[in-house]
Amino acid sequence: MTEQLLSPQGQQCLQALMRVWFEFERQLGRVPLLQRLERGQFSKADYCQLLLNWRQQVIEGSRWISRCASSFDRDYSDVRSVIIGHAREEHRDYEMLEQDYLAAGGSLSDIQGAARNVGTEALHGFLMYRASQPNPVDLIGAMWIIEGLGQKMASGWAGQIDNCTSGDGSYTRFMRYHGANDDDHMQKLYQLIDRLCQSPQQLSAIVRTARVTARLYCLQLEETDNEY
Amino acid sequence: MSVYITASGHFLPGPAISNDEMEPLLGYVHGKPSRLKRRILQSNGIKFRHYAIDANHNTTISNAAMAAKAAEHCLSQSFIGKRQVKMLSAATSQGDIVLPGFGSMLQAELGLNDIELHSSHGICSSSMMALKAAFTNLKAGEQQNALVVASELTSRLFKASRYEAAGSTPDFNAEFLRWMLSDGAGALLLENQPRNKCFRIDWIRSFSHADAYPVCMSVGYPTDNSINRSWQDYPTYAAAEADGALLIRQDVRLLENIVKLGVDGYLRLIAEGRVQADKIDHVLCHYSSHYFRGKIFDMMQRAGVGVAEHKWYSNLYSRGNTGCASIFIMLDEFRRTQSYSVGDTILCMVPESGRFNNAYMQLTVVEA
Repeated sequence: MTEQLLSPQGQQCLQALMRVWFEFERQLGRVPLLQRLERGQFSKADYCQLLLNWRQQVIEGSRWISRCASSFDRDYSDVRSVIIGHAREEHRDYEMLEQDYLAAGGSLSDIQGAARNVGTEALHGFLMYRASQPNPVDLIGAMWIIEGLGQKMASGWAGQIDNCTSGDGSYTRFMRYHGANDDDHMQKLYQLIDRLCQSPQQLSAIVRTARVTARLYCLQLEETDNEY
Repeated sequence: MSVYITASGHFLPGPAISNDEMEPLLGYVHGKPSRLKRRILQSNGIKFRHYAIDANHNTTISNAAMAAKAAEHCLSQSFIGKRQVKMLSAATSQGDIVLPGFGSMLQAELGLNDIELHSSHGICSSSMMALKAAFTNLKAGEQQNALVVASELTSRLFKASRYEAAGSTPDFNAEFLRWMLSDGAGALLLENQPRNKCFRIDWIRSFSHADAYPVCMSVGYPTDNSINRSWQDYPTYAAAEADGALLIRQDVRLLENIVKLGVDGYLRLIAEGRVQADKIDHVLCHYSSHYFRGKIFDMMQRAGVGVAEHKWYSNLYSRGNTGCASIFIMLDEFRRTQSYSVGDTILCMVPESGRFNNAYMQLTVVEA
């Protein structure tokens, strides 16, 4: 790992965010769909179901992050630049996800016609609400969780999904792609933590938003098994 | 009431076995040299270890007898004799026999009278659980002293014949631990009064995460465990063995979680105010492999709560990974050979991969 330059406040924030992340990983470990994946009892149909549920959040993801950028005022224009760049890079990622869905045997009309699941509704609602606040510093906590998950998908899930379903990587491109760009994103995140966490109040807001995001993300994955 | 580690001991069976001597001793599976050995040894960094079996696969000393030797070594340097021992707390991942508890067998081997007994079962962290049981017992004022012993004799699982009985070439997960684990025992004496220069136990804490992670290290499941069958569910033990259900396995894919969980516990203890990173003078961490040491070190560093490299002590490379006995064998050698001063803080960490239990202990060097 490369050395980081973090202020004492930033360092404390990083420690707290690491703990939220570890807790999030344990929450993920209790999600039935992911437990099946870990056990190797995971079919292509499970994978399609996962993508189907995921797509809505990926689409909405680019929206809250764009709104987040626009909610920062001119004192934070440097932050805005970073976030706009990030939003631009990722705002059409869902197309890759759709291609994976097709390659795994799904149909375009199914995935495009699917509604947001209950967890996605909650997650999206929360993130859009936070992103609409002036200078939403706390959303760095949400990015921490979502970027972290990108790394996890790429380093763990994609390979395991291919193992379980005898895949050759041709339908796990979205997950793998997320990991490939991750180092760069994480680097930017560390810098943002230093920039945005400058008071104890900001620290607790960042950690709280990370926690809520983590919980709602899990809810979204838990809901993958539910069909209403 | 304070509790002190006033003496320690160890026992390592037979001569030190180098990397080149391992396979001739454990045996060539189906007569062929292992293809994984070099890679695994390179990553764990272990150079020497000890085995309680010989090249003919005779067991040279039992697990209980090894534990007894370590306990006797410990007592031989203490202020108390066998008759004064009040409690025996013992740990192993596999005793010589399935039942009764390992503590009972060890008590008989040692010839201790009328003691209070505790057996702790698990993998690497079982020694810390045994230690905690003794620690709390003394702290509650129930006993004045306790002998805590951890011992492992895993080499019996690594004989070539075991793998051959399970059929074709062992898969990576089944072979992995063959090049990781070895035998040995360690013992600590706890007392409610300090003696000379000794270690006060400030606290012992553990965090278990079995509810969130699958089994990572095990004996008892067959190679293909899709129907969730245990070795005891087969009509005969021979059938279980043929199905690979008696092999010791590590799910290597899950192993990396140990790093995060180890650091997670450390960060919790910092948040609770129990640990202050800049006050730690020595770190004794039971990492199973050199590979993980770097990862744990880096992650602590990244969180801004790293401990300088020269403060880390381990004898993994020369004594081997002896499972639950490792941390006691390490503490014992640290006590004898390293320099430390009154007031020094020692942090011990045991991240266990069995199903992810992480134990921590803080010691302070005191002088009576």
